[in-house]
Amino acid sequence: MMRRVTRSLFTMTVALLLAGAAGAEEPPMLEPEIAAGKLPPLVQRLPRTPLVVDVKRPNWTPGRYGGDMRMLMGKDRDIRMMVVYGYSRLVGYDEQLRIVPDILERIDNEGSRVFTLHLREGHKWSDGQPFTSADFRYYWDDVVNNKELSPFGMPQALLVRNKGPRFEVLNETTVRYSWDEPNPQFLAVLAGPSPIYIYRPAHYLRRFHPRYVGQEKANAQASAAGSRTWAGLHQKKDEQYRNDNPDLPTLEPWINTTPLPSTRFVLVRNPYFHRVDTAGRQLPYIDRVIVNISEDKLIPAKAGAGEVDLQARYLRFDNYTFLKQNEKRNRYRVLLWEKALGSQMALYPNLNVDDPAWRTLMRDVRFRRALSLAIDRHEINEVVYFGLGVESSNTVLKRSSLFRPEFREAWSKLDLKAANTLLDGLGLTKRDAKGLRLLPDGRPMEVVVDTSGESTEETDVLELVRESWRKIGIALFARPSQREVFRKRVYSGKAMMSVWTGLDNGIPTPEMSPRELAPTLQEQLQWPMWGQYYENNRTGGQAPDMPDALELVRLFDAWRQSADDAEREQIWLRMLAIHAEQVYTIGIVTRALQPVVVSNALRNVPAEGIYSWDPGAYFGFYHTDTFWFDSKGRP
Amino acid sequence: MMLRYVVNRLLLMIPTMIAISIIVFVIIQLPPGNYLESYIAELQAQGESVDPQKIAFLREYYGLDKPLLQQYLHWVGGMLRGDFGYSFEFNLPVTKVIGDRMLLTIIVSGVTILFTWAVAFPIGIYSATHLYSWGDYGLSLLGFLGIAIPNFMLALVMMYLANVYFGTSIGGLMGPEFIGKPWSWAKTQSVLEHAWIPVIVIGTHSTAGMIRRLRANLLDELQKQYVVTARAKGLSPRKVLFKYPLRMALNFFISEIGSILPHIISGTEITAVVLSLPTAGPMLLNALKSQDMYLAGSFLMFLALMIVVGVLVSDLALVALDPRIRLQGGVAR
Amino acid sequence: MNDSGLAAVPGAADHFVSTAPFDPTSAARLTPEQERFYLASQWMLMWWKFKRHRVAVVSAIILLFMYASTLVTEVLVPYNLHTRHTDFIYAPPQSVHWIHEGRLTGPFVYELKKSLNMETLRRDYTEDTTKPYPVRFFCNGDPYQFWGMIDMSLHVTCPEEGATLFLLGTDRLGRDVLSRIFYGARISLTIGLLGIAVSFALGLVIGGIAGYFGGWADLLIQRVIEVIRSFPELPLWMALSAVLPVTWSPILIYFGITGILAMLEWTGLARAVRSKLLALREEDYCTAARLMGARPKRIIGRHLLPGFMSHLIASATLSIPGMILGETALSFLGIGLRPPITSWGVLLNEAQNINVVALYPWLMLPVVPVIVVILAFNFFGDGLRDAADPYR
Repeated sequence: MMRRVTRSLFTMTVALLLAGAAGAEEPPMLEPEIAAGKLPPLVQRLPRTPLVVDVKRPNWTPGRYGGDMRMLMGKDRDIRMMVVYGYSRLVGYDEQLRIVPDILERIDNEGSRVFTLHLREGHKWSDGQPFTSADFRYYWDDVVNNKELSPFGMPQALLVRNKGPRFEVLNETTVRYSWDEPNPQFLAVLAGPSPIYIYRPAHYLRRFHPRYVGQEKANAQASAAGSRTWAGLHQKKDEQYRNDNPDLPTLEPWINTTPLPSTRFVLVRNPYFHRVDTAGRQLPYIDRVIVNISEDKLIPAKAGAGEVDLQARYLRFDNYTFLKQNEKRNRYRVLLWEKALGSQMALYPNLNVDDPAWRTLMRDVRFRRALSLAIDRHEINEVVYFGLGVESSNTVLKRSSLFRPEFREAWSKLDLKAANTLLDGLGLTKRDAKGLRLLPDGRPMEVVVDTSGESTEETDVLELVRESWRKIGIALFARPSQREVFRKRVYSGKAMMSVWTGLDNGIPTPEMSPRELAPTLQEQLQWPMWGQYYENNRTGGQAPDMPDALELVRLFDAWRQSADDAEREQIWLRMLAIHAEQVYTIGIVTRALQPVVVSNALRNVPAEGIYSWDPGAYFGFYHTDTFWFDSKGRP
Repeated sequence: MMLRYVVNRLLLMIPTMIAISIIVFVIIQLPPGNYLESYIAELQAQGESVDPQKIAFLREYYGLDKPLLQQYLHWVGGMLRGDFGYSFEFNLPVTKVIGDRMLLTIIVSGVTILFTWAVAFPIGIYSATHLYSWGDYGLSLLGFLGIAIPNFMLALVMMYLANVYFGTSIGGLMGPEFIGKPWSWAKTQSVLEHAWIPVIVIGTHSTAGMIRRLRANLLDELQKQYVVTARAKGLSPRKVLFKYPLRMALNFFISEIGSILPHIISGTEITAVVLSLPTAGPMLLNALKSQDMYLAGSFLMFLALMIVVGVLVSDLALVALDPRIRLQGGVAR
Repeated sequence: MNDSGLAAVPGAADHFVSTAPFDPTSAARLTPEQERFYLASQWMLMWWKFKRHRVAVVSAIILLFMYASTLVTEVLVPYNLHTRHTDFIYAPPQSVHWIHEGRLTGPFVYELKKSLNMETLRRDYTEDTTKPYPVRFFCNGDPYQFWGMIDMSLHVTCPEEGATLFLLGTDRLGRDVLSRIFYGARISLTIGLLGIAVSFALGLVIGGIAGYFGGWADLLIQRVIEVIRSFPELPLWMALSAVLPVTWSPILIYFGITGILAMLEWTGLARAVRSKLLALREEDYCTAARLMGARPKRIIGRHLLPGFMSHLIASATLSIPGMILGETALSFLGIGLRPPITSWGVLLNEAQNINVVALYPWLMLPVVPVIVVILAFNFFGDGLRDAADPYR
């Protein structure tokens, strides 16, 4: 079956018309360089068919050029977030969460097995060199299949049952990847906020590669730069995602010009960027992005003092009141965007816990249901989230087409009586002097919940849960530890329960992988050892021995084999239903809100939005390249 | 005699430095896990994922798969050759990472030390000469307040107030628009606008200790026979104070000069973190937290070396200045 | 000189012989005050000298009260440590009134009325001045277990039914700040004492060995001390608290943190002990004791230590504030005590963000007892040190 993923025919025609219409407005920032002959005129900088960005959003208007957008980050390494916000990908999500071509002109997908990628003719890297199939070939021949650069083989996402694709270069602008079996994740991985870069700026990286400069010179360069091997130097220079090499050509809207370490990074517009607005003017509108590095705890204070133009990272919900208070004085507005997590915070009973008595209990669905029933979500919502959250189990959000009210409501209404009945039914009827139920072996039921202590929010919610669990005769103790220690304890089965955010992707479509719902990864806190088993190709960890978990594994495999949307949707719903009934994770409150500080002068930032890592790339899929400064609002 | 003493001291420094290097290495290895693990954990906390293949590559490239002893020898061997290792976090040699921050650190510390002395000196003398007067109590109270108010609280409140009332941008050592620009009058002004907060916060903290030591030393001296004699002979109080006792009491300034700089660098990390100063402290703390071991390790070694050398210098200065120590042949720090 | 008799005999010649009996010690006779002074024990003298430092005396009394309060915290405060009032989150300090509608009605509070401001997501509180709620004294409030044994519910003050008594406001879970400060004192005050006890013992033993035996032991210990002191404190703290096993219960963590603070504090004491011992062991009385066959333990313990104990105690007192502040610093870095343990450091750590400074400043109040204690210990220690050498 042949399926074309393209933008509407309409935009295509517009694009062609525009490319012909020479003499569109040049960004004023570039004019001196163009006048001096250092830069070719717009027509020669754009691909023959640029991507026309036409955002269908109320209050969205074409913008004006100019301005510096100030943002704050907590660490030098966070400069990578500009690659996320820029969100220039081979294919990317649009606001309706459909995957559409971006850098690619189009992509042909045959049964999720054969993908033919068509580049834009005349597309150029930020240094003006052509971006062609040679850049894909360089990645394939000289990076991923080079034993020294990739000693451990291909990235997981390119492998289907441990086999990589066949790679063919059809012509200067066309490449093809084909697998024997379907690889439905491929496009989603290319569209991710931290994508797999299957292309590299070959003309730049060649000078570090022994195949092109000879072993001797490559090694000499490496040792001169303080690297042990040429591969180390190549790796260091070749970090498109880390965004820490100002010399590395890029396809993003803004180019980082500041090397690490610094407390102030300046990014300037990419004169060869491939997107234009409906008037044919090259994007981005904003000339420069200034990223200041500051202690992360200070970022709310600095945002409140009006030292940013756009900021969400490091702002927390409880900063809202403070930010709102200074809104007028410092001329910005605070928006509340929805986070796309399945649950702002969820409890993960560890089905692989060491302790046999607890393991038996954790694996008993009645026990998990009782725990979930005994949480007063309403109180937590009122106390911690100002009543703005939604009391829910850990499932997908209402925005998702896969949402069903019964998933949200399953076992998530406070009902102490039912919870007590369930526990009594488990035979846990004996109690000690303090009223705690006793385990069959006579120990009191003290559940220790491991937390990574990220925020006081976690401690507070646990405190509230502790109180209502006490009423069903179960004590809760929180044990904070550092993230690494936290993870190790869960993985090794030492932690009996842990607390973390819920589903990462709460707004899935049937085309997105339901991987999170089945035991597939060690980092799944409810069944780390089963996850490890599948992550390592059925070695290591433990094989699951519960029928429902095996069913999830089977369903996930079926999804991977399926190329039919209706079938995928059925699989998703089935998996979500199992999760809702089995209460593998105990969600608490969802639709948590993320404050976003936006300068009054900044336009085209949606008033309501989703703040999501994948899909979404945070600001990325709202097209930061179309944000612009209205000089009237500028202080 | 003097030469032998110096050589002896220098020789003793070798085992000390070896011991310190071992402790430093142990310290940076003590927390469970390593850089890559905390790196993965941090990314996952933000919802990002990492490719296991790449982690495997980095583990091998950074040598984190080698036994500890080998890692240690590699590090120490490198340092002897002037190679301080590689910062994982910044993907750069350690020297390049630290370099920029050191200058600012030294400027901030220097100003702070001057501030401390300027405040502590008169107060200490006054307190010692006006024992148990209201002035003594009041000034000591002021000094102790500096110790008693936790630095992070003071820094945060002052910074907030400075922003609300003077419009000073929050944190840092200058307005963000001046970072990386050449020095100009406006930049200097901006630095002055920002720098007074850390100087006061850090300065008040060390002032009290200084006052107390000056007061105690001066009191000791003032009880001595020669002072009584001088006073009995009718020397003016001012002269009695300044001729010898004060000079003797000042010995401790010299004995501390060596250790004061490193301690100001390391002892003020918390303030520097709260104020987001671009100094060495926050970087050291971050390196320790993220287990960027060569950055943290070389940083610590550098501080330790400064202290050890500083102590040596101040001991030598004392020997040179104070005949009593020289004649007794021993050195008290 | 001789005041015993100038009994003038009329017409006596210029030659005079006193009739009073000869007293050979009269020249050295002391007034009763002098006698008291010279015969007083060393400790007595120190006490006299200490009394002269008035602020130190006041400080000592304050400290005494604070430590005494930790014994009966439950009774003193209006609420329990973890009592939450979810209807009164971030309530500002409530004021106690005396006059209601022009009449003196004794101490009372008004009921708090909450309104949610959905625009700024802020809870606003106003007083409902229609009805006064008297503050009760010695009344029954939150039940607790006194010293973990006796079930009681007696409190010195508590609010009237239906009213609240948040003298210092509430925190983000509606917990009474005043009560939490009092409970926090238990941890914070004892951590200083315990820590100093440990480092005192370490300092005495290690410094004693170095000072008395000298030679190799001395050299080695000197090196160790030098190495430890060459270290910036923070990394050491961080590393040491990273090794505290995560499986430890909160109370063990508490001891662990105390131990860490003590580990870094003993070097100063050991150094002082050593140098004093070096000086004192050359004294004649020490040689005498050795010649009479006393073992080193006895010589150090019986003859040398008393000689400078007072100095040590004074300098130990002066290190307690450092420990209390050390605890707050560790909490700040997130490597010290953590909730549910409540110490002043933990309370302050929760207070150090911009929201609190700008919106809920009463949450910074735990800084007040910290300041008071630190000041008190400093003045007290100063007084002790000045008194330590009473013969001056």
